[in-house]
Amino acid sequence: MSTVPRKGIKATKPLVPEPATIIDVIVETPSIRSFRLVFDDPGIMKEFSFAPGQIGLMGIPGVGESTFAISSPPSRRDYIQFSVMKTGFVTSAIHELKAGDAVALRAPLGCGFPVDNWKGKNILIAGGGIGMAPLRSLLLYILDHRHQFGDISVFYGARTPADLCFVGDRAHWEEREDIAFIATIDSGQPGWDGRTGVLPRVMEAGRPPAENTVAVICGPPVMIGYALAALARLGFAEGQIFTTLERKMKCGIGLCGRCNVGSKYVCTDGPVFSLADLGNEI
Amino acid sequence: MEELIPIIKKALEQVDVVLGWAQSPAAGVAVPAFFHTPAEADAAVFDSTCAHNLAVYLPRLADKKVGIVAKGCDARSIAQLIAEGAVKRSGVFVIGASCPGMIDVKKAWRCFGFGKQVCDAAGKVAMEGKTVAREEILLWKCRGCRDPEPVICDVTVGEASSEAPAPPAEPAGIRKRFAAMTVAERRQFWQDQFSRCIRCYACREACPLCVCRDVCTIQAHEPGWAGAAVDSPQSWMAQLIRVNHLAGRCTGCEECERACPVGIPLMLLLEEQNDVVEELFGYRAGGEAKPPFLTFDIKNDTWDEER
Amino acid sequence: MRFIPEENITALLLRLSENATVWAPQVVRDTVNTVLFAPWREGAEIETGLYSALPVKGLVLPATERLFSFRYHRAGEREKIEIEVDELRERAAVFAARACDAKALVTLDALFLDGSGRSYNDQHYRARRGALTVITLACTSCDSACFCSSFEDGAAATAGSDLIFYPVSGGFLAEAVSATGRELAALDLFQESNLEKPPLAETAKVELARLGQRLLDKFDDIDFWRRTAEGCLSCGYCSYACPACHCFNIFDEMESDRAGGRYRCWDACMFYAYTLESSGHNPRPEAAHRYRNRLAHKFSYFPLNRGEFLCTGCGRCIRGCPAGRDVRDVIKALGAG
Ligand SMILES: Cc1cc2nc3c(=O)[nH]c(=O)nc-3n(C[C@H](O)[C@H](O)[C@H](O)COP(=O)(O)OP(=O)(O)OC[C@H]3O[C@@H](n4cnc5c(N)ncnc54)[C@H](O)[C@@H]3O)c2cc1C
Ligand code: SF4
Ligand code: SF4
Ligand code: SF4
Ligand code: SF4
Ligand code: FES
Repeated sequence: MSTVPRKGIKATKPLVPEPATIIDVIVETPSIRSFRLVFDDPGIMKEFSFAPGQIGLMGIPGVGESTFAISSPPSRRDYIQFSVMKTGFVTSAIHELKAGDAVALRAPLGCGFPVDNWKGKNILIAGGGIGMAPLRSLLLYILDHRHQFGDISVFYGARTPADLCFVGDRAHWEEREDIAFIATIDSGQPGWDGRTGVLPRVMEAGRPPAENTVAVICGPPVMIGYALAALARLGFAEGQIFTTLERKMKCGIGLCGRCNVGSKYVCTDGPVFSLADLGNEI
Repeated sequence: MEELIPIIKKALEQVDVVLGWAQSPAAGVAVPAFFHTPAEADAAVFDSTCAHNLAVYLPRLADKKVGIVAKGCDARSIAQLIAEGAVKRSGVFVIGASCPGMIDVKKAWRCFGFGKQVCDAAGKVAMEGKTVAREEILLWKCRGCRDPEPVICDVTVGEASSEAPAPPAEPAGIRKRFAAMTVAERRQFWQDQFSRCIRCYACREACPLCVCRDVCTIQAHEPGWAGAAVDSPQSWMAQLIRVNHLAGRCTGCEECERACPVGIPLMLLLEEQNDVVEELFGYRAGGEAKPPFLTFDIKNDTWDEER
Repeated sequence: MRFIPEENITALLLRLSENATVWAPQVVRDTVNTVLFAPWREGAEIETGLYSALPVKGLVLPATERLFSFRYHRAGEREKIEIEVDELRERAAVFAARACDAKALVTLDALFLDGSGRSYNDQHYRARRGALTVITLACTSCDSACFCSSFEDGAAATAGSDLIFYPVSGGFLAEAVSATGRELAALDLFQESNLEKPPLAETAKVELARLGQRLLDKFDDIDFWRRTAEGCLSCGYCSYACPACHCFNIFDEMESDRAGGRYRCWDACMFYAYTLESSGHNPRPEAAHRYRNRLAHKFSYFPLNRGEFLCTGCGRCIRGCPAGRDVRDVIKALGAG
C-alpha cells in the first residue's frame, strides 16, 4: 500500500463536513465542470495539505455528498479544486452551483500517490476522461518538483475534442520542453489535428521504456483493462503500475462497508493502489 | 408424500430445475430447495412446514424452464404472474400438491424453540408438551383457504383433503378489533406497528408479485416518495406504497407477513385492500382472468369492459 | 462471587433507570412471541427464554441516526452553511443481553474505535458506546441455530459485558467484568455467595479452521456461489439482525426550507443498490456475488484486517431467514479445515 503518510481530515469528527464556499466554476466540457472552493474557516484553509491522488467528499447539505479526486496540486494554497462529471443526483445538483454558493467538504481522505518513492524515476501518466482529474494534481505536483524526477510522458485521451478537459493546462503542457504530452481522441473528427486512436494503443505505440519507470493510469474500467495489457507487453512489472480504483462510496472513512475490493477498502486503503497491492483482487 | 420424488425426477427430464422443499437438519423443518438432478430430488419433502411460496423465484429464473411444486395458494401466485406476463406459461411446469394447511414455522419456533421437530412423519403438526393451539401458528391464509387445490397445474400429487379447511378466524382477532377502531386509533395502531419496522425489505423480497425488486420505487432517490429514515411515518409510507402497488395483484399468500422478522400484521393492510378491489372490480387476483389494471387504457382513460 | 436474589431484580432495574434507559427483551404486544429489546418499565415482563429478533447493536448503531443538523443562512451577499452535531445526553443500560451479542460489541469496537486510518474513530458510535452499560444473562440452554461454541469462549464469553448474571436457584450469580460492573455488584441488592456457576450451553459447532483461506480458494468458483445463494432472496434481514454487521447508508433530509439533517441508516451488502454506481455499473450484480461478499467479509476479510471473525454464532440469520438459509451449510460446503 501507499507509503505516503496518511494526511487525514480531522480525526475527531470524520463524518461531519466543514462549510466551504465556491469561488470559481470552470466549464470544462459539456458534462464536466471544475469547482474551486475555500473552507469558510481560514484556519482550516491555512492548515489544509494533501498528497496528489487523495480525495474529498463534497456535498450540498440537503442533497447529499459525493466522492471526487482533488484536481488541484498541493502547492495551490488559495483554493481546492474538484472536477465533477454530471452523472446522477448529487453531481447534477453540484453542476447548478455558481461562485459564491455554499458547499460542505470532508477532505482530504484516502491515500495519495507514493510520490516520495518515485524520486529519480521516469513517470508515465495515462488518463482517460474524468480519470485525468487526480492525474492533473499529480502532474502539477511533479512539475512543481520537476528536478526530482526523470523523463515525464503524459497521455490524455477522450472520446471527442469537446470531451478533453483542462484547456489552459493543455496548451501549457504541450509547450513545455521537459515533458512529452500527447492528447488523443478516440476517432478522427473534423477540426482536430492532434492524435487519434484509443489511449492504450497510442500509449503502446509510443513504446515508453519500462526500465526505472512508474506508470500511473486512471480512467474508465475498459480503458484500464486495455492499458494494463499494453503495459504488460511493454515489460512493466506489477509493482511499477499504479492506478486509482472507483467503487461506490458513502462514508469515505472505512466504516460503511461498500467500497471494498476483497479485503481492501478503496476509501482508506486507496483509492491509489499499485497492481502488486491488489494481486488478483481487482 | 413419497409419490412426489418420482414426479420431480420425471419433471427433470423436461425442465432445468425443480423448485421444492427439503428437510433442514438444523431447523427440523422444510426449507426451499432447488433440485437440478434426479439424485438431488431424493431429498424432496412436502409437509405442513412448506409454507414458503416458491413462485417468488420464477421471475428471477425467467430464462430457464422451471418445474415448481405448488400448493393451492402458490398456484394462484403463478397464475397471476402468468396473467401479468412476468412468467411464461410454457416456461413453468407446475406440480400441484394438495395442501394439508401450513403452519408458520417462525411462529412455532417462537413457541417451542428453534429446531424443535414441529412435524411428525405423517406430515401432521405434532407439538407435545406445550399447549399452543394449532390455529395460533397456522397461517392466517390457511384458515378459510379459498382453493386448497391448485388452480393451475400440469400434474398433481397427493389426495385432495376430505377435511374442509379450518374455518376463517384469525390469531389475536386483529382484523375484527381493527374494524372496531376509530380513525385516530387506527393511526396510532399502525404507528406502533411500524415503529418496529427495520426496512429490511424481507416483505418485498418474499412477495412473488413484488417484481420490481432491485429497482423498487420505495428506494429510488427520485422521486423520493418515502424517505430512507427508519422511523414510523416513513416506514409506514414505504409499506403503503408497496401495498398500493399490489392492488388487484396480491393473491393473499401471506409471504410478506411470514417474512417480516418483527411481526408486523401486513396482511391486515393487504386483505383489506383485496376486499376493496373485489368490491369495486369483482376481481380477486390469482385466477386466469385478466387483471383489471392491465385493461386500463391510459390514452382513453377508460376500462376495457370486455375483460 | 456476588449473588442477587430474583426478587431484587426489579429494584436493580429501577436503580439503573435513575440515570439511563433500561432495555430488556420483551414480547411485542399483538404478536406471536416476537421478542425485541425495548425500554423497560416497572411491571413489564422480561422474556429471556426466546431469542430476540434483533440484537442490541441498535443501542450503539441505531437503525437511523442523525449525524448532524445544518442550516442555511445569509451572511451579507452570501449563503452560508452552519453545521451542528447534537450531543448525546442519554445513557442506556441493557439487561439480559446474550454473551454473543455483548461480544459482538467488542468486534464493532475494533472497527469503529480504531482510528488508525484504516478506519476512523467514529464520534457518534463512541458517544453511544461510552454511555452503555451491558448486563449479560449467561445462556444455560440454547436452540439448534446457536453455534457460539464454534468460537473462542463460546457461551462463556465475557467480552463486551460489564456484569454477567448466571442463573442459579433463587436468583443470579453476578460476575463483574468492568469497573462499572464492579460498582453495580457492590450495591446492597447483591450479597456474597459460594454457589457454583451453572454449566453453560454447549451449542452446535462448525469447523472454522483455515476458513478464510478455504473461502478464498473457492472465491472464483462463481457456480459454487450461485448454487449456495440459490434460495437467497437478497433481503436485508440477515445483516440487520446480525450483531456484528455494521454497514450503513448516508442520506440528507430537508426539514424546512432552510434546514435539515444528515442521517445514517442501516444498509446491507445483500442489496443490489448497495454497490450500484451511478454509471449503472455494479460490481456485485448477482445475489451470488453479494452472498459471497457477506461470507467473505465475515470469515475472511474482517479476520484478516482486524484479527476477529465478524460473527459470534448467535444464529439470528438462521432463525429469521425467510428462505431458510443456514450459513453453517455454506461453511460445511467449503470443505474441511
Ligand atoms: C475514489 C473516487 C474518485 C472519484 N473521483 C471523481 C472525480 O474526480 N470526478 C468525478 O466526476 N467523479 C469522480 N468519482 C465518481 C463520483 O463519485 C460519482 O460519479 C458520484 O458519486 C455520482 O454521484 P451522483 O449522486 O451524481 O450519482 P447517483 O447515481 O445519483 O448516486 C447516488 C450516490 O451513490 C454514490 N455513488 C454512486 N456512484 C458512485 C461512484 N461511481 N463512485 C462513488 N460513489 C458513487 C454517491 O454517494 C452518490 O451520492 C470518483 C469516485 C471514486 C470512488
Ligand atoms: S419485512 Fe417487516 S421489518 Fe422488514 S421492511 Fe417489511 S415490514 Fe419492515
Ligand atoms: S435473510 Fe435469507 S433471504 Fe434474506 S438476504 Fe439473508 S440469506 Fe438471503
Ligand atoms: S453471521 Fe449470523 S450467526 Fe454470525 S453473528 Fe451474524 S447473525 Fe449471528
Ligand atoms: S457482511 Fe455485508 S452487511 Fe455485514 S458488515 Fe459485512 S459488508 Fe456489511
Ligand atoms: S466509503 Fe464507506 S467504507 Fe469506504
